[in-house]
Amino acid sequence: MKTEPPALPLRRETDLIVRPLSDETLVYDLARDTAHCLNATAAAVWCRCDGRTGVSELAAALRLECRITADEDVVWLALRQLQKARLLQARVPHPAVAHRSSRRDLIRKLGTAAALPIVMTILAPTARAQASDQCTGMDGVQRPCSENPCPAGFMCMQVGPDMACGCVAN
Amino acid sequence: MEELDRLGWAAGLAFVAHGVRVGIRANRAEVLDGLEKRLPLGWRPCAHQRVRHLYSLVAAGEDRANVRHFHVLYADAVRVLRTRDLQSVFSFLEYDLEVYVAEQARRRVFLHAGAVGWNGRAVILPGRTRSGKTTLVAALVRAGATYYSDEYAVIDDKGRVHPYPTPLAVRTGTGDVEKVPVEALGGRAGREPLPVGAVVMTRYQPGSVWRPRGLSSGRAVLQMLDHAYAARYAPERTLAALLQVAARAQMLTGVRGDAAEVARSLLDRVGRTP
Repeated sequence: MKTEPPALPLRRETDLIVRPLSDETLVYDLARDTAHCLNATAAAVWCRCDGRTGVSELAAALRLECRITADEDVVWLALRQLQKARLLQARVPHPAVAHRSSRRDLIRKLGTAAALPIVMTILAPTARAQASDQCTGMDGVQRPCSENPCPAGFMCMQVGPDMACGCVAN
Repeated sequence: MEELDRLGWAAGLAFVAHGVRVGIRANRAEVLDGLEKRLPLGWRPCAHQRVRHLYSLVAAGEDRANVRHFHVLYADAVRVLRTRDLQSVFSFLEYDLEVYVAEQARRRVFLHAGAVGWNGRAVILPGRTRSGKTTLVAALVRAGATYYSDEYAVIDDKGRVHPYPTPLAVRTGTGDVEKVPVEALGGRAGREPLPVGAVVMTRYQPGSVWRPRGLSSGRAVLQMLDHAYAARYAPERTLAALLQVAARAQMLTGVRGDAAEVARSLLDRVGRTP
């Protein structure tokens, strides 16, 4: 009986808008309406996740391309963040025997925090989310619309010159 | 929608704003009087019979004994408001039209941001409601900057900011909003589009000292996207415009205290940029 070889990381390619910058990469996920900013280390790992390249090879590529003293722990940190951002096609299981380094350990190894892989994520806002959100409830108290309950399919917004909380179709 | 179409419509108007065609119809002609001053800035009448978005206002008749009538507003086929106060309908309509046009504008990207011009460049201040945008815009105008907007930074595909000079929505001590024309502050509104010199992500925090730090282009675009009306509707076009801005502008972030002090510092910084 043979065990299945561990899955190699494979990046998502569909439903994404990708815009490389000089030392970062922006990714917009059309399926989830999230936007991500990958720093150079995270982007270098992500673009090499082709389903054929293993973690040790990714670490070697990082050392060569980003000129940082990256080891497999740095790659695993990048993969964890990319997975959390749903930018990989499938979860890559972290080997149970491997030691999971803390960020502090990794900064010590790399010599700088700037070399740590970072994926920043925001949920793209709806147009209405931009608008003023304070309204006056039935009790005459001003509060954020988010605190004014509305039935499913409706959202709260200011209505009228007295900025009363009203529920309008979403 | 067909059921709505069958109702008797006494009057209607169609207009185009930023490439978006919108129609408004009502069952009583007189309720549309005076509505024009509530339409989005830059609107012009449109002769087209077909519009992309249609509001239908069924205005209530006189109440009778034991019968109360409501004004009902529909956006396309969806009922969005039912109220006895006609002014509430107009306020809602004004708000909803602005948001719709800001989201659907064809060749512009609307950011929820203040904007001023200085030495041929724009300074834009993206921020949430009550983050102090209007206060800082007013301070910048008092310090000599040209007023572009206290609500929308309207960006074209070259990354330039266009004026959207509605009266400033200044909050009074009681929390009410007072509309103040820029001329009342001793300023004037800009007319020409300007390239962006600085994007400033800041919010008022009492007692804070303005010590801005730089933001990378990627992070700045991500933060601007968080204030973009069309972030979901047209992400590709929105990103393209924001990348144009990020390619040329300084990106600054930090909390601020006194607006007048920050205004002087910002204008000095933008003025020094080659």
